[in-house]
Amino acid sequence: MRLLALALRRCLWMPPTLLGLALIVFSISHVIPADPARVLAGENAPMEQVEAIRHKFGLDKPLPEQFVRYVGDVVRGNMGISLYTQRPVADDLVERLPATFELALYAIALAVLVGLPLGVVSALRRNSWLDQIVRLVTIGGLAMAAFWLAILLQLLFSMHLNLTPVQGRIDGWGPDPITGFYTLDALIRGDFETFFAALRYLALPMLTLAIPAMATIVRFTRAGVLNVMQSQFVFYQAAMGLPRRVVIWKYILRAALIGTLTQIGLVFGNLLAGAVVVETVFSWPGLGTYAYQSILQSDYNAIMGFTLFTGSVFIGVNLLVDVAQSVLDPRGR
Amino acid sequence: MDHVFGPAMGRRAAIAGATALGAFAGTAEAAGRVRYVTANNNPYDILDPHQVFDIGRIAIRLNMYDALVRWVDNPPKLEMWLAEKVDISTDGKTYTFTLRPNLKFHDGSPLTADDVVYSMERILGLKKGAYGLFSDVVKPGTTKALDPMHVQFTLNKPFAVFMAVLSELWVVNSKVVKSHVKENDWGSEWMTRNVAGSGGYKLRRFDPAIGFQCERNEAHFMPFGPGAIDEADFRVSMETATRVLGMIKGEFTTTDGYMPAEQVERMKASGNVWFKEAESIRTFYFIINSAKAPLNDVNMRRALSCMFDYDGFNNNILGGTVVRNPGIIPNPMWGAPADLKGYTYDIDKAKWYLSQVKEKIRPLQIAAMSGYPQSEQAAQMLQAGAAKAGLEIKVVAEPFTTLVPKFDDPDRAHDLIPLWRSAYFADPHNWTGFIFHSRNFKAGNSSFYKNARVDELTDQALVITDREKRRPLYEEVSRILVEDAAGIFINNTKFYGPYSKQVKSVRFCPIGDTQDLRWIQMNT
Repeated sequence: MRLLALALRRCLWMPPTLLGLALIVFSISHVIPADPARVLAGENAPMEQVEAIRHKFGLDKPLPEQFVRYVGDVVRGNMGISLYTQRPVADDLVERLPATFELALYAIALAVLVGLPLGVVSALRRNSWLDQIVRLVTIGGLAMAAFWLAILLQLLFSMHLNLTPVQGRIDGWGPDPITGFYTLDALIRGDFETFFAALRYLALPMLTLAIPAMATIVRFTRAGVLNVMQSQFVFYQAAMGLPRRVVIWKYILRAALIGTLTQIGLVFGNLLAGAVVVETVFSWPGLGTYAYQSILQSDYNAIMGFTLFTGSVFIGVNLLVDVAQSVLDPRGR
Repeated sequence: MDHVFGPAMGRRAAIAGATALGAFAGTAEAAGRVRYVTANNNPYDILDPHQVFDIGRIAIRLNMYDALVRWVDNPPKLEMWLAEKVDISTDGKTYTFTLRPNLKFHDGSPLTADDVVYSMERILGLKKGAYGLFSDVVKPGTTKALDPMHVQFTLNKPFAVFMAVLSELWVVNSKVVKSHVKENDWGSEWMTRNVAGSGGYKLRRFDPAIGFQCERNEAHFMPFGPGAIDEADFRVSMETATRVLGMIKGEFTTTDGYMPAEQVERMKASGNVWFKEAESIRTFYFIINSAKAPLNDVNMRRALSCMFDYDGFNNNILGGTVVRNPGIIPNPMWGAPADLKGYTYDIDKAKWYLSQVKEKIRPLQIAAMSGYPQSEQAAQMLQAGAAKAGLEIKVVAEPFTTLVPKFDDPDRAHDLIPLWRSAYFADPHNWTGFIFHSRNFKAGNSSFYKNARVDELTDQALVITDREKRRPLYEEVSRILVEDAAGIFINNTKFYGPYSKQVKSVRFCPIGDTQDLRWIQMNT
């Protein structure tokens, strides 16, 4: 019941948060002295053509009116028409979502599967050579710029070792969509060739996203485990004669995971919303590439739509994290 | 009727042309499907040929649609395409086209004069894309289908470049489009994702996030030569380094032909890529805001023209990948004077011109286009030259989207902007009247340059249809623009189209930069 109340409270905060977000993004995007109508019409287009475009998209209205109208449309499920693609922004986002979601899921899965055990082991062997190496690698993982890491991986795995493709989501066109996740769709159809091909294409962008995510998870897990290991209840469990592995994996890890879980949630939100550079470098046809193109074209509606969408994702992920934390830590209920 | 274009390129001529690309190498069908993958740095996100008018997405229009005429080869020649003949009235206002017989859309329905009329009305109604090319001379309701084979355009005034711009009148299947019209939208919503054309390639798949895939239209009126491409993927790949690696690795068959010199060298060094080199018709110059003091003083503009190190920029920084172009009209284009003497890098002369400036000299600002290294390098080069002459210049970088709105307002416009003038149609008007006639302030003339003689000459040239009579007018305009230092004219771009070894030969045309699949021959 308390969990339900928590979830409801968070949901009630969602509309004002999104409204604030929309206002900030709207203001910032309109402060930039760009004229999407002129860009859309072309540099040599007559003013009549520019004005017609301005009128069609409501860009000739005062800014407050544009904002109010936009918010009203969004409430009715209409995120407007992209100035550049000339299609509903919501359709554009929905079409690109599976590509980004699939990439983010694989990246977070890899980051968690590798990061959690590595963080625990690093903490248990504090100051050992293994711990030092892990700390060095994680600092590197956090410090490396995504585009640089992406190019390094391309050069190593694609060009020198010839193991992976340089870019793209698949050779040619993907399977007819069921879920939009190429790997899942291929499995549903029993098409293992496409499944493995899709994995090969996923490998490098996934690794580029997973390495910094993994570094974050390792560091938080390590810190959490070290902190919990000093707790009295751990001494108590050890004094009770429980086997070491039970103490570690059942008691220490559960308590240590509370902080890590928050980070996993934030990292996952970042992967969904912030893979702009990685998607662009790998020509990954997802939301990040869409955001990049929209910014280049000053496509106000698309930028707003993308931001509201990612804002919603963050709020949703945070809600899930809060619920999960409450399950793990009864003190929070 | 005293001007008759033609004869149109016939089926035999087309086959001969394609064969001239190389020896017959067997049919593509016999050797398996010939696939071609292009990586583009612009999204192919909208398929409607009447809503867009840019080079980035021209592959859609060139391959899946046809127009009455088409540009081919370099320097570009205007060939009859859907039309086989045109009669132009002596007053230069009435153009009557005869269509080829048995033209068909992709769905097999006949392409008639009604479709041409509808296409023109649609452009005028939508007010998008190439609308600006026609709106001044063609009014809604004035285009007539005389019968299924004849279409007549009646202009409200003579317009010598009408034939040239008709290459952008892409003919759509009027019945199909009309059946998808919603609330007087000219079917625009449906057309963003579907094709209703007759072109040499048919749409197979489209995903705005990825690009599009097309296959050869065997029923097209213009036959294909040996080694023609069976199917092609046009894919979006925004990052230059990724496109280069994709070319070297063989994931792409081609990508854009205006890469930075170091990337060209990188691909050459790989041994997997060959280059089609050709002088294009894309001039690089500085827009000078002539409305603002002291740039409204001709001596100030001349001084700036003497401060730029042309040889150092063209040959050292760009490694000779461009050609010095002393005027605005590209060297290979008719109307460019062969003996035109441009400015040279001469700091002493620049100082002398500065001493002649009557207006108060102030520090200037150059807005380079961010993301375009050549634009930024040119800005720095001029800044360095100006410093030697004692003139302070500040360089800022701005994205194109924030530069463009300032083109309409002389007070907000930057003093100098280094950029390219691309070819949308191959006529000297594209480089002169369009961007230097005072009528076109806020519609192409971004330098706010005004010269009565230039206005007069370009107006005269627009009402004469005989090229040989227009040529001296444009040559004089070109000389005046240099004399007046209306811009700092630097170079003409060379096209370096990278191709994988699967490609045997390419016929380059600057209008479209080899995105017209028909003119590419593969090794089969």
